[in-house]
Amino acid sequence: MGQGKSQFTEEELQDYQDLTYFTKKEVLYAHQKFKALAPEKVGHNKNAKLPMAKILQYPELRVNPFGDRICCIFSSSHDGDCTFEDFLDMMSVFSDGAPKAVKAEHAFRIFDFDGDDMLGVTDLRQVIDRLTGQQHLSEQDMQHLIQNILDEADLDDDGALSFAEFEHIISKSSDFAK
Amino acid sequence: MAMLPDLSENLSNEERTWEEIMQIKAMPVSMMQKKEMKAKLQTATKLRLQGFEQLKWQRRKVWQQMKSRWKETYSKLELWRHSLKKIEGNFGTGVVAYFLFIKWLMFLNLFIFLFILLFIILPTLVLVPQESPANTTLVEECSRNYFNLSVDSSFLDWVQGTGNMERTIMFYGYYTHKLISEDGNMHSYYNLPLAYIAIAVIYLLGSLAVMVKSAAQGFKERLVEGEGQFYQYCNLVFGGWDFCIHNEKSASMKHKALYNEMKACLEAERLEEERQNRSRDEMLKLMIMRCIINLIVLMVLSGALALIYYTFYFSQERLNKELLNPNTELEYLYKFILEFLPSIIIVCLNLLVPNMFAYLVSFERYSPLFIVRITLLRTVLLRLASLIMLMFSLKDIIICDEPDSCSCEDHPKCWETYVGQQVYKLVILDFVTHVLITFTFNWPRMLIAKYSKSKVAKFIGEQEFELPKHVLDVVYSQTLCWLGSFYAPVLPLLAMLECCLLFHIKKFACLVNSRPSSTVYRASRSNSLFMVVLLISFIVAVLPVAFAIAEIPPSKSCGPFRGHLTTWSVVVESFDQLPAWIKSIMFFFGTAGFAVPIFVVLVLCLYYFYAVSAANKQMVMVLKNQLVLEGHDKQFLLNRLSAFIKQQHEHQKVMRQVEMTNLDLSNAS
Repeated sequence: MGQGKSQFTEEELQDYQDLTYFTKKEVLYAHQKFKALAPEKVGHNKNAKLPMAKILQYPELRVNPFGDRICCIFSSSHDGDCTFEDFLDMMSVFSDGAPKAVKAEHAFRIFDFDGDDMLGVTDLRQVIDRLTGQQHLSEQDMQHLIQNILDEADLDDDGALSFAEFEHIISKSSDFAK
Repeated sequence: MAMLPDLSENLSNEERTWEEIMQIKAMPVSMMQKKEMKAKLQTATKLRLQGFEQLKWQRRKVWQQMKSRWKETYSKLELWRHSLKKIEGNFGTGVVAYFLFIKWLMFLNLFIFLFILLFIILPTLVLVPQESPANTTLVEECSRNYFNLSVDSSFLDWVQGTGNMERTIMFYGYYTHKLISEDGNMHSYYNLPLAYIAIAVIYLLGSLAVMVKSAAQGFKERLVEGEGQFYQYCNLVFGGWDFCIHNEKSASMKHKALYNEMKACLEAERLEEERQNRSRDEMLKLMIMRCIINLIVLMVLSGALALIYYTFYFSQERLNKELLNPNTELEYLYKFILEFLPSIIIVCLNLLVPNMFAYLVSFERYSPLFIVRITLLRTVLLRLASLIMLMFSLKDIIICDEPDSCSCEDHPKCWETYVGQQVYKLVILDFVTHVLITFTFNWPRMLIAKYSKSKVAKFIGEQEFELPKHVLDVVYSQTLCWLGSFYAPVLPLLAMLECCLLFHIKKFACLVNSRPSSTVYRASRSNSLFMVVLLISFIVAVLPVAFAIAEIPPSKSCGPFRGHLTTWSVVVESFDQLPAWIKSIMFFFGTAGFAVPIFVVLVLCLYYFYAVSAANKQMVMVLKNQLVLEGHDKQFLLNRLSAFIKQQHEHQKVMRQVEMTNLDLSNAS
């Protein structure tokens, strides 16, 4: 369908290609996916702002336990509603082309629930809770687990993970790719 | 005269601007801000590059563009991309690593076969062998007898490799031992025997190189990970979620898997503590139990091997004595079963014995990770040992040296083709077993579990995609390929087709028959595991072939090495024909005067690298301690600062109070 291409000018596509880890074709593909979430609204304004509920209908985000956090981080208005540009940003960071450092940076923000630039005990607790889904660890297990994580990762012994410590772990981990 | 000021000092040139624009995408700001930044950079004054610099920069830009376009087309061409994405979405990246492994093996087999095709099969088909001299030698006579034998062929020949199929390019026996050229008059010739053995060595070494490279990569990652500390819990929590999962069921399974893994890790830690605190009595009892279990395992293995040996002898005896000329239908059927009997026994053992091992290992009370490893090790041992046993039993049939006749009594005239046929039968049977088990055994089980509500049905029917077992299946078929390729050159092609079909069969088993596994398989660990198992199997497969090449005299009636003392002597003879200076260089490499200094130098290098790595580890410890101290320092300074500020506040409050009282006093007076 040529309609997709005619919505963007060549200059805009070049911009998007330079500013994300996508090629022009992938940008158009991402726009198609975005449009599929709310066809009429996006048809009128290609950079329409969709509410968080609509964004979370995207399959990978719907089942992701951190879906709402992801939307909040990437939304330019910080309230969870995303424009197409925010969506493109999101997909670009999660794509294969983005280097580990970029993903680590965004992952840190996603895990930092209280926004204090450190992953403290409360942040870790919420992360673990969301990861286990329906099942819940007992209080003792949870504390034990958090203590283990801090033992492993907290290098300067201040009870929370700073961004440098988090990045240090991620750089050692070879599974943190997707 | 003062130098004119350089106005261009702070301005950046085009290239640097372009680089900065490329770096914007790594910044964690919103798209609108990124666009603003790009616009600002583009409209800022910048210098144009001149001449050579301009060319270099243009070339860099073009190279970047080409790279990204190449990546795009390459990802489109990726084989089976859609299937892999589907599996990834449902099962996660650990299982996908397995399917990528199958794809990798398929390409390896393809390359091996292309080598063989280009250098051995095509010359044999296209070029013509040298004319034989008038006086006949024993070798010529035997060859003529062999090739003129009439054989009765039946449709079963396809499966067994006998009859008409025996004298085709499929098996070793077809290839000529003479030099071949375009028209038989030896102006320029192609040395087929030398090519045959050279290609075999090349593809075996090539497979080894590729596997070692892959294994070393995984090993390096593991080493980097475990540099003093293994971030087990952090990896589990921060890297645990697979962002490619896109349906509800898999997501809930993933949640459950993560929960189980967390509990398992905590449990393992508790067990470790318990193990440290085990009393001496308990330790002793456990040790005895473990010894007994290991003895039982060894007994089971030797029993299995003995069974294979005797089955082989039994079937050989019967085939040679009684069934040379089958007459009735029943005798045909009996002959067919006897031909396949050793292979059937091996397949049955491969199915039953691992289950027995899994049952026994529960008595040994190892940690869960160790249980997986040791069960895998024992199963690998079983599979490889059964192959070795088969080769061993073949040895008695093959080795026989009577200088005056074509071959010994009751022994096959062309033993290499015979070995090739045995491996071919194993390959066919292995593949048929996979198809049968997946479609006629596991699929009905899944249907039963899906459509009936009773608990018993669910117990029988629900299966998980157990990765170690499927890995062993694939590795086993590849081992057979390596084992038999020297004697049946078309085997890599079959192995490639088998890998291709196995991919789809396993995909069916994964997506349709099983539910997602409840253990978390991590992709990086899985990859290194596959490679190590593959390496072990490779070594075991190459040993019999190497032994045969070096020691066993080739049969006189067929093959590229007839008439020589051993297969390797072809290489030795060709080596003798090289010019003298090359030979003297080669001899020098073999002398002690060269080997001993090289050995000493290598040992010194090894020691040097070991010392460097030990020093690095020490450095890491020192730096870590330093970090902790700095953290404490920071905390201390912050405390001091807040205490100081509090003190200042108090002081100011006191001062203000004093002022107020002074003011009151002065007002009052």
